[in-house]
Amino acid sequence: MAQLQRIVQSSATSYGSSSGADVAVPDKFPNGLRVLVVDDDTTCLRILETMLRRCLYDVTTCSQAAVALNILRKKKGCFDVVLSDVHMPDMDGYKLLECIGLEMDLPVIMMSADGRVSAVMKGIRHGACDYLIKPIREEELKNIWQHVVRKKWNENKELEHSGSFEDNDRQKKVNDEVEYASSVNEATEGVLKAQKKRICAKEEDDGELENDDPSATKKPRVVWSVELHQQFVSAVNQLGIDKAVPKRILELMNVPGLTRENVASHLQKFRLYLKRLSGVQGGISNAFCAPVETNVKLGSLGRFDIQALAASGQIPPQTLAALQAELFGRPTGNLVTAMEQPALLQSSLQGPKCIPAENGFGVWAPNNLGGVAPGSNLGGVSPQNGNMLMDILHQQQRQQPQKQQHLQPQQQSTLSEPSRSINVQPSCLVVPSRSSANFQAGNSPASVNQNCSFNRSAVIDYNFLSSQSNNSSLNVGQISDGDIKTTGILSGYAAPGSISPSASSCSVTADNNTSQHIQNLTMAFRAAGQVPGFVPNFADIQASYGAKSGEMLDQGPLRNLGFIGRGTCIPSRLAVDEFESPMNDLSCGKIYFNNNASRVKEEPNLEFVDNAKVGIPMLQQYTPNDLMSVFTD
Amino acid sequence: MLGLDADRLRADMNRLLALLFHQGVLDEQFLQLQQLQDESSPNFVSEVVNIYFHESEKLLRNLRSLLMDREFSDYKKLGIHLNQMMGSSSSIGAKRVRNVCVAFRAASEQNNRAGCLRALELLEHEYCYLNNKLHELFQIEQQRVLAAGVRYPMHM
Repeated sequence: MAQLQRIVQSSATSYGSSSGADVAVPDKFPNGLRVLVVDDDTTCLRILETMLRRCLYDVTTCSQAAVALNILRKKKGCFDVVLSDVHMPDMDGYKLLECIGLEMDLPVIMMSADGRVSAVMKGIRHGACDYLIKPIREEELKNIWQHVVRKKWNENKELEHSGSFEDNDRQKKVNDEVEYASSVNEATEGVLKAQKKRICAKEEDDGELENDDPSATKKPRVVWSVELHQQFVSAVNQLGIDKAVPKRILELMNVPGLTRENVASHLQKFRLYLKRLSGVQGGISNAFCAPVETNVKLGSLGRFDIQALAASGQIPPQTLAALQAELFGRPTGNLVTAMEQPALLQSSLQGPKCIPAENGFGVWAPNNLGGVAPGSNLGGVSPQNGNMLMDILHQQQRQQPQKQQHLQPQQQSTLSEPSRSINVQPSCLVVPSRSSANFQAGNSPASVNQNCSFNRSAVIDYNFLSSQSNNSSLNVGQISDGDIKTTGILSGYAAPGSISPSASSCSVTADNNTSQHIQNLTMAFRAAGQVPGFVPNFADIQASYGAKSGEMLDQGPLRNLGFIGRGTCIPSRLAVDEFESPMNDLSCGKIYFNNNASRVKEEPNLEFVDNAKVGIPMLQQYTPNDLMSVFTD
Repeated sequence: MLGLDADRLRADMNRLLALLFHQGVLDEQFLQLQQLQDESSPNFVSEVVNIYFHESEKLLRNLRSLLMDREFSDYKKLGIHLNQMMGSSSSIGAKRVRNVCVAFRAASEQNNRAGCLRALELLEHEYCYLNNKLHELFQIEQQRVLAAGVRYPMHM
């Protein structure tokens, strides 16, 4: 193990310093790799054993999953990798995989004669690092050491980069997404503190892996049997992953002898486990929906003073919780749906020191698309503009007069689960969340998928949900949410808006999909980013539009804006359903959003992350009438 | 004389193997198995194949008793058995047995009992053939080792 550790370390450093090309490998590696093979099929077991020995690995075989689990528990740190069959009579291979993943975080390679995609997918979803289809050849086994190295390596890298991630590391971000989202909940401390905590947790894990002598631990260990774990999981489910705190879980489980610390540590592992799973899923969805990539990154920022915000009463705790629940509860299946849709939005923000990024994608039914072409507005976003501090943003929302609704009868649509979820977390990544809302429009079959992305960081989540239409002004260091009424949409849209002021600049981006209904003059627009005169004023905004932006222009309504501010940033997001917004006085730093309030549903979600250090007052104003006049031809 | 015998037996073995490959009874995985046999485990192939026969007979019995049950409906269990059969058969290179298992599993996934029964018959037949041929092979092998064993002392 020490040998392996050296390799990993040397490789990690070489990776960090250069391009990670050469990994210094001792001559003998990977000889002596400690492999545990679990297979109820003794024929395969015998063959595998022989093959592995010929690879000069240190092999332990076992024909029962339960026995294997016992061995692993008793000899913690005595194995580097586990090879496990999928179908075993006493315990499903997936369950074993789950237990191993939860308890010792070893790389597990699944094996089965069943090579169907569904089976392999299931293995990957459960966290297998590889899936070998029987018959297994010796060449395949020769290479399994790579999973051990990779795992170690990733852990080291994670350690190094926690807080700021590489651009090309999207997969990783996705991986971490859930963990962050969940850990963020309780985190009311500063970024640094949280990061430190995280690192400590990692070290703890490593220590556990390398600790060959289980007796060294002083406290009596709780063995998380499958049953106990089930109890734990159901307790967590009952509470909701976001609200699950060790104390409450303990109460729900009601197991004598179990301490809060036991539960807390298991909860931490469970979250790590979820994180790994989500990574896999995220990766899959990315693979399938290549065009829908959301690539956002957050750089590291200054710290946020959340407590100040919380103290100011601006952030109701339950809002946070609700948001989290939403995040977790949303089925990933929607992503796929979104892909089928003709229009996809992609926004990627890149730039050094960029922090808040946001992307989302919306899907429109093509025929519903109006002729709104925001293209001209694009020019307005120029990164090199001087710093401008937006003092005031007004955002107001007003209710549309009823007659507006008459004009747009088709817009009576049902919104199923309009959700805007925003998590803002400083200093980490913004990852697309898997939450998506489907909208079904009554007359038009278009479905809208909204994909909200949230930032995750070790620290903070803000979510604002305001159900009432409020005009709120944002003052320095405060978060106020404006109300945005979302109404049913004919064509459907997904509009994430983001407001991200950077230290010296702020950018307001409202992603609106402008969907113009031809007869009705309904227009959706994307506000901020595309508003001429508005965006240019922000410094440090480097927005790169997704590759698809060109096509999107033609379609008008499809667009994502991502903004990355720099320094302390306030990532915020507005999800606004059809906006009819006049963008007047952009140069004045005002944005007018117009909403049709009289629509079927309202689910305004506004998220702000405000940096306490940077005071940026923001106001939202929505002037409904102006909008129509502006955008209507 | 004895040396010639050993050579002849080796040729017989090779001829039989070639036949089995030609018929698709065995595939290259069986050669992998043979390559795993060395000084440290001189009887590796026959050892593994005997384990395989032992396990497979159990599985076949289970499959039959499952399917013969009047109230049979546990296709899932059937699938699990078949999966194991597939895994072990493919691991020793029993290609045709494996292929029948695939068809068998397809029938069981469609809850096609008649198809399952047909596949079971076929599977038993294929298994039987494999069993006979491999035993024949091992027998020749044994004779060859004996013949060679007798010869070596003469040269020493």
